[in-house]
Amino acid sequence: MRVQLFATCVGDLIFPDAVEDAERLLRSAGYEVEFPPRQVCCGQPAFNSGHHAAARRIGRGFVRAFARDAPVVVPSGSCATMLSHYLPELVEVDPFEVWELSAFLDAAGFEPPRTNDGRTVAYHDSCHMLRELRIAEPPRRLLRRSGAVVSALLRPDLCCGFGGTFSVRQPEISAAMADDKLAGAGAVDALVTADPGCLMQLQGRAARTGGPRVVHLATALARGVA
Amino acid sequence: MSALGQPRERFRASAESVLDNRHTQGALDAATARLRDARLAAWGLLPDVEDLRERGREIRQLTIADLDRYLDEFSRALEARGGHVRFAATADEATAAIREICRERGAKVVAKGKSMASEEIRLNEALERDGLRVVETDLGEYILQLAGEHPAHIIAPAIEKTVEDVAALLGAVDGEELRPELEELTAAARRQLRAVFESADVGITGANFAVAETGSIVLVTNEGNGRLVSALPRTHVVILGLERLVPTTRDLAVLLQLLARSATGQPLTSYTTVLTGPRRPGEQDGPDELHVIVLDNGRSQLRRGRYREMLNCIRCGACLNVCPVYRKSGGDAYGPVYSGPMGAVLVPLLVGLEHAPSLPHASSLCGACTEACPVKIPLHELLLDLRRDLVAERVAPLWERLAFRLWALAWSTPLGYRFTTAAARLGAPLAGRLPGPGRAWASQRALPELAGRFRDRRR
Repeated sequence: MRVQLFATCVGDLIFPDAVEDAERLLRSAGYEVEFPPRQVCCGQPAFNSGHHAAARRIGRGFVRAFARDAPVVVPSGSCATMLSHYLPELVEVDPFEVWELSAFLDAAGFEPPRTNDGRTVAYHDSCHMLRELRIAEPPRRLLRRSGAVVSALLRPDLCCGFGGTFSVRQPEISAAMADDKLAGAGAVDALVTADPGCLMQLQGRAARTGGPRVVHLATALARGVA
Repeated sequence: MSALGQPRERFRASAESVLDNRHTQGALDAATARLRDARLAAWGLLPDVEDLRERGREIRQLTIADLDRYLDEFSRALEARGGHVRFAATADEATAAIREICRERGAKVVAKGKSMASEEIRLNEALERDGLRVVETDLGEYILQLAGEHPAHIIAPAIEKTVEDVAALLGAVDGEELRPELEELTAAARRQLRAVFESADVGITGANFAVAETGSIVLVTNEGNGRLVSALPRTHVVILGLERLVPTTRDLAVLLQLLARSATGQPLTSYTTVLTGPRRPGEQDGPDELHVIVLDNGRSQLRRGRYREMLNCIRCGACLNVCPVYRKSGGDAYGPVYSGPMGAVLVPLLVGLEHAPSLPHASSLCGACTEACPVKIPLHELLLDLRRDLVAERVAPLWERLAFRLWALAWSTPLGYRFTTAAARLGAPLAGRLPGPGRAWASQRALPELAGRFRDRRR
């Protein structure tokens, strides 16, 4: 069966390794992975800032780039939310069949490789993935199946502080939110998240403050967190 | 500018100073977590909280849809019981009406119950200018009045104060040394406030709800001060936000269950006071006169269109307690009255986006507020709508509108995307230094590396 991989702009530009790992996981789950070459972005940065005309322009690009005959798999909870919840109304198209990566793999009954035997990780829920897509268990289940012990974060309900342009409109509050998240991870081998936005925020802050290692879920599953 | 609005840069500046204050951060963290846990525990004890929320939402929606009729019904019922009802279109009309009531009765001392609507119309300042002594009697509000500050939370106004702060403030009233112990502090407040209750000529309260079918005013309190303010002075004045109506006492019962549980986690607050008219012949307690000022002050503009849902708000504060931004910024950043997600939505709607341009962006859109709202107001979606209005009404700065337009133009084709991202890679060393988003990011975090695009590996 064929799937279309949407790298997302942050994935394509900043986390190409994580996207590669996502592709590897999909292949080892038995899928033929197509990378539609005209893909760019889902339009979320503009949409969440209120710039609907700009978001519509980008959204139409997505519609042109992707086919209707195979599911779209996205290694990003927030872009998957944009595509499934907001894009159809914004550009007046029928919804695409969009899956967040871990939900897709989990529903397919994927057995990840035992890359994390003996490791302890904490999993950070991205807000869109948790509250709009309602995907909380699949990433944890996959991590456990890869051998990891998944420890609970302190206050898993709290946002990491990214929030798109919020991170640069309110940089001080945004960073304070990241600090709480990083401190709440405790002693783990890595803090894992399924959203490139959260990843960029938490990695960037941890690089300044000496917080835990933060990795994308796809990387954690494909290569292990060590 | 009204009491609610604020300039663009104020949110960030105010939040920054609160972030630097470890003492306030600790108080905010602890109090919001306590209130949130209490709500979740109380919701958990209900047989079906989702059903109750749905009923609450329905009652609010039906009420707002037919508000004129219920306001009319309420006025007639209350006037039949000897009360007086006046409508105030603006804050000034409301304060003028209350000043007139106080002047006609030769009032010298006014005792106040907790009322966010009175903060909204800056009532205390107006009355004090007339030479009246106005004393807040809700303990939290009293503490803030002594400190010369505004409420930082709609339910727990003194949320940012610690017990040591309170001991110092209450002790200063009579020049005594108070130990930071709850019993000693509440005893001191009781002593100080008792004298106010006994001498007040006019009592002023807000209203949590007003029941249309009976003409009743409903006060929900935990200290009993609402009862004293509404019963001891000869004149009781109520400031009623015009959306606070509920059609019947049955509807009231549903909303009371939601309000107390969502605000403090209590099944019911210690005192739920239902006042139906002034004291009648043969009754022992109650004021001689009851005046209800029905306050619009921008609310009726919300009745049409998609923002109508904000009028469903029952002011429980649940959204504040779960908001990751509020628990860092504190209440003042949102302005002196309404804070947290409900404030970020309501204030721009009441005063106009140009007078509160930063509030729709004072959120990471995490959606915790929507999840916590007992009457299911989609707060984070309303924030998104307000952001769209900021752009459509050109309140968003020109540079921002241009930047997004150019960005969308560039990224509307794969070629434009390739070109601009290649250029960005070359310009990356400058990103943290030039003014703009790169520098704002880099002020707190390492800039991400542009390692080489995934799509180039794929070829």
